[in-house]
This record gives sequence, C-alpha cells and structure tokens, in this order.
Amino acid sequence: MKNWYKYLSVLLMIYVIIAGFLIPLKPGIQSFSPSKITIDPDKSSYLKIKTYNTHFQDAQQNKVWLKLPNDQLLRDEKVTILSQNELEVSFYIPSTLPDFNPQQDALTLIVENEIDGYTFYPDAVRVNDVSGLMTNRNEYHDISKINQVESFKFPYRHILHETIRNTFFHVAIWFAMFILLIYSCYHSLVYLRSKSLVSDKKSASATTVALVFGIAGILTGSMWAKYTWGTFWTTDIKLNMSATAMLVYCAYWFLRASVSDIDTRARLSAVYNLFSFVTLMILVMVIPRFTDSLHPGNGGNPALGGEDLDNTLRAVFYPAIIGYTLIGFWISNIYFRYLTLKEKVELI
Amino acid sequence: MIQRIFHIIKKDLVLDTRSRFSILAGLLYLVTITFVIFKLFGDISGPTRIGVFWIVLLFTSVNLVSDSFGHAGSRRMWNQYQLYEATEILAAKLLFNFAKVFAAGLFLLLLFRVFSNESLVNPPLFIGTLALAILGIITTMTLTSSLTVYAKNQSGLLSILAIPLLLPILLISMKVSLVSERMFFDTAINSNLLMLFGIDMILLVMSLIFISITWKS
Repeated sequence: MKNWYKYLSVLLMIYVIIAGFLIPLKPGIQSFSPSKITIDPDKSSYLKIKTYNTHFQDAQQNKVWLKLPNDQLLRDEKVTILSQNELEVSFYIPSTLPDFNPQQDALTLIVENEIDGYTFYPDAVRVNDVSGLMTNRNEYHDISKINQVESFKFPYRHILHETIRNTFFHVAIWFAMFILLIYSCYHSLVYLRSKSLVSDKKSASATTVALVFGIAGILTGSMWAKYTWGTFWTTDIKLNMSATAMLVYCAYWFLRASVSDIDTRARLSAVYNLFSFVTLMILVMVIPRFTDSLHPGNGGNPALGGEDLDNTLRAVFYPAIIGYTLIGFWISNIYFRYLTLKEKVELI
Repeated sequence: MIQRIFHIIKKDLVLDTRSRFSILAGLLYLVTITFVIFKLFGDISGPTRIGVFWIVLLFTSVNLVSDSFGHAGSRRMWNQYQLYEATEILAAKLLFNFAKVFAAGLFLLLLFRVFSNESLVNPPLFIGTLALAILGIITTMTLTSSLTVYAKNQSGLLSILAIPLLLPILLISMKVSLVSERMFFDTAINSNLLMLFGIDMILLVMSLIFISITWKS
C-alpha cells in the first residue's frame, strides 16, 4: 500500500482523541478539612473529605483509613455520605500513636470502597501532640486489608486533575517537532553533499511544519501552565528555551525570504539549519545547569517513565507521538509538492 | 598561510584606519549609549548593571561584525574571493573582529567604571569571561554575517539570525560575571568557564567547516 502511513496516522489520531478524552480519571481526594487534628481523649475527631470521580452513594462499603508511618491503619468510626463525591468521617485517634513523631510525621488519608478501589492523599493529616494521655482503645489494621479494584483509567494527580490529558497533545507535539527537525537537518546534510534542490525543499518543508508544531506546542503548554502554575507565561527555562528555538526557526524563514537566488538560498539555509540545530543542542545541555525547571525531569520533579507516566498514559502517549510525527511528515510532503510546483510555475 | 591571514588583517586594518572617523564614531557610540543608559536608569547597580553591560556589548558586536564580509558583488569581495581560501578569510576576520570587539568591551568596562563608580571585584575573572564570551559571540556572528552577504537587509538579518543562538553563551557569561562581582555564589565556576570554552571550540570548528560552503561554492 502506497500511502500506508497516512491511513496509519489518521487511525492513530482518531484513537488518541477518543481514548485521550473518554477514558476517565481514577478517583482522587481533592481536599479535606481540617488538616490538623487536636486530639480530645473524650471525643472523636471529624474530617470532611471532598473527592473526585468517586461513587460513594452507589457503593455499599465506604471505608476511610488513616495510615501510620509504620504502615498500620486506623479505621474510621463512622462514615456519613453527603454526596457521590463528599463524605464526613469521624475517627477516634489515640493520643499516643506507635512510631509516630507529631513534629515530623503526618497521617496518610485513604478512602476506599468496592466500586472505585482505593485512593490516598499522602501525609495529609497532622496530629497535635497531647502527651501524658494514655488511651488505647483503638485496634490497628494491616495495610493488606485495603482492597484494590483493577481498572483502565488515567491516574489522578494533584494540581493536574483532568489536564493530565494534555500529555497526549503538548508533549507528543514537542516530540514530533524534534523528530521533524532531525529529519530536516538530515536533508540539509544531504543537500550540502549532493546539491540536489529536492533535499533543500524537503528540509525547508519539514522545518516549516516543525515551526507550526512548535507554535502549537507553546499554545497548548501555555494553556496548561495557566491551569497548573497560574500564569500563561512563566520564567520557566524550558519554556524560554522553546521560545528561543521558535525565534531561530523564524529567523531561518527570514533568511530564506531575503535571498532571491535559488542555489544560494538553499546553500545558506542548509548551513544555518545545521549551525542552529547544533547551537540549540548546546542550549538543551547547558540550561539544566542553571535553574530548576517546573517541568518534569528537572529540579526533583519526576520525569517521563517515573510515576507520572503510568501504563495507561503510555498506551495513549506513545501512539500520539507516532501519530503526530506521521501527520507531520504528511503535511511536509504536501508542502514539498507545493514548493516543487511553485518552482515549476516560476520557471515557465 | 599565517602570512596570508596577517595580510588580510593588515588590509582590513588599513581600510579601517584610512577612514579615521569610523574608529572615533565607534568610541562615540559607546560613550553615548552608556551615557544614555546611566541617565535613564539613574542609579544602576547590582545584577541589572551586569545585564545591561552584556546587552550593550551584544549590540556593539552586531554593529562591528555586521559588515565583515562586505556586500555581495562588491569589488572588495571579488578580490578576496579570488585571492584567498575561505578558511584563511574566516581566520583573519575572526582575529580582527575579536580584537575590535574585545577593545570595545574593555572600553565599555572603563565607561561603566567611570559612570557607576563601582570597580570590578575580580578583574582577571571578569576580563577572562569577557574574552571567552566575545570569542563565542564573534564566531557565531562572523559565520552568520557570511550568510547575510547575499541578503538585502544585512545588519537587521544578522541580529535575528545570531542573537537567539547566543543565548547559551550569554547565560553562562552572565552567571560567571555575577559570581566574579560577588553578587551570586557558586563553587562550580571552573566548570562553567570550561563549558564556555567548550562551546567556543564547537562554534569555531563548525564555522571553519561551514565557511567554505557559504563563502565559496
């Protein structure tokens, strides 16, 4: 089949859009109050918990646990369901917890039922130190008591929430852009060796599509940044690095536009393309030494392959990269044919 | 070969000194721009002063380097085209531009000293960084100016082609100069200088490879 990659790219993109938007998120704890409990030995402590994508009213056995640092669990006394995503829970917390230092440690909050499985908020609840009281009518449970429900859902992450789906667009577009730029550099090299104008046009069309992808990447990233970091544009160094790359490739277009002779234009733009690609690679290597980035993979944030990208995300993310890359090649192929036709028309 | 390189440099020097106003105009340009900056900012100190210093140096080098290859089709260009190898011309232009921009940088430093009344804390480190940064800047700019020879709006195109590529050099030299002025503390200063040197070498090698393509085909 001649145009197999076009069909493949369309299929992949349909899959990415449908799966990327329709697969639900796993349940998660949005907020709870209060975040610090003062223990009263005579009374129970109350917590109000707001969650996301849970089904408290449909489930029969809603349980809330507090996990101690030594992996033992404290069970709730009573759970009051307010809505599908809201519940109130009372605990009886003993004043002396085993292996627990109130100054440093906090209790992890776990919400669980038989429909949604479990979800947790690490180091959530702090407990005020009330020393001298020795009441221990609680019994502790083992962590294996929590039941797990297997489901194909995207992970719930704090701050990110539903925008985790942008991974398939923002990140995948950047990957496709880099692949197109490498392809463009390859054709610049081929041009310098063979002086064939076909390679020059291929290189120019790939760079153009990469530039469009880069702008799309900046726009999607900017929206994501507004949601997660609070502003459209931060001083984040990766963002400004990508902006630099865009400036360089815009300059590449100005260079092409301002030289009229075809061969000279091809020669100069091939040299500038290779030169700027190497310089941008230097920038990629230099920049992490200077500032921490808000992006994953920098400054202690987990990178791709860490816990941010679990297998459910991978199942959509990798096809998205391939899909965008193939679509990029498709568009650049069309633009290449347009450039060839334009040249023929100009020659007549 | 070295003799031929010095021949080009000598010729460029003669051309520059023959119109004595061009050197004086360059000096006056620096004085004017520094005066305007200190008037506008009032009291300029701290990292801003260092940042402004690098920016002024950047635009000064755009001015000084932009016409290093002349205009396409001009007689001077054809003369050089026939007489010398591309790498010889590049080496000569690099040496000549380096001397020019480094002199301008030192003069700019002197002007900043006079206007801001703050002396350098660690002059050898600052001037060493200045030399390494200028080497990188002029290498990038000399190669890109050889690209703009055939273009219409030369110096405007040079700025947009070269300045984004200079970001790594400027970032490192800004950091090192802040450390040398005791405004920022970092123990890895040697590795930063080494990295600056490494970038300079990569740029130099690339320029030597590419100049024979852009200059003569």
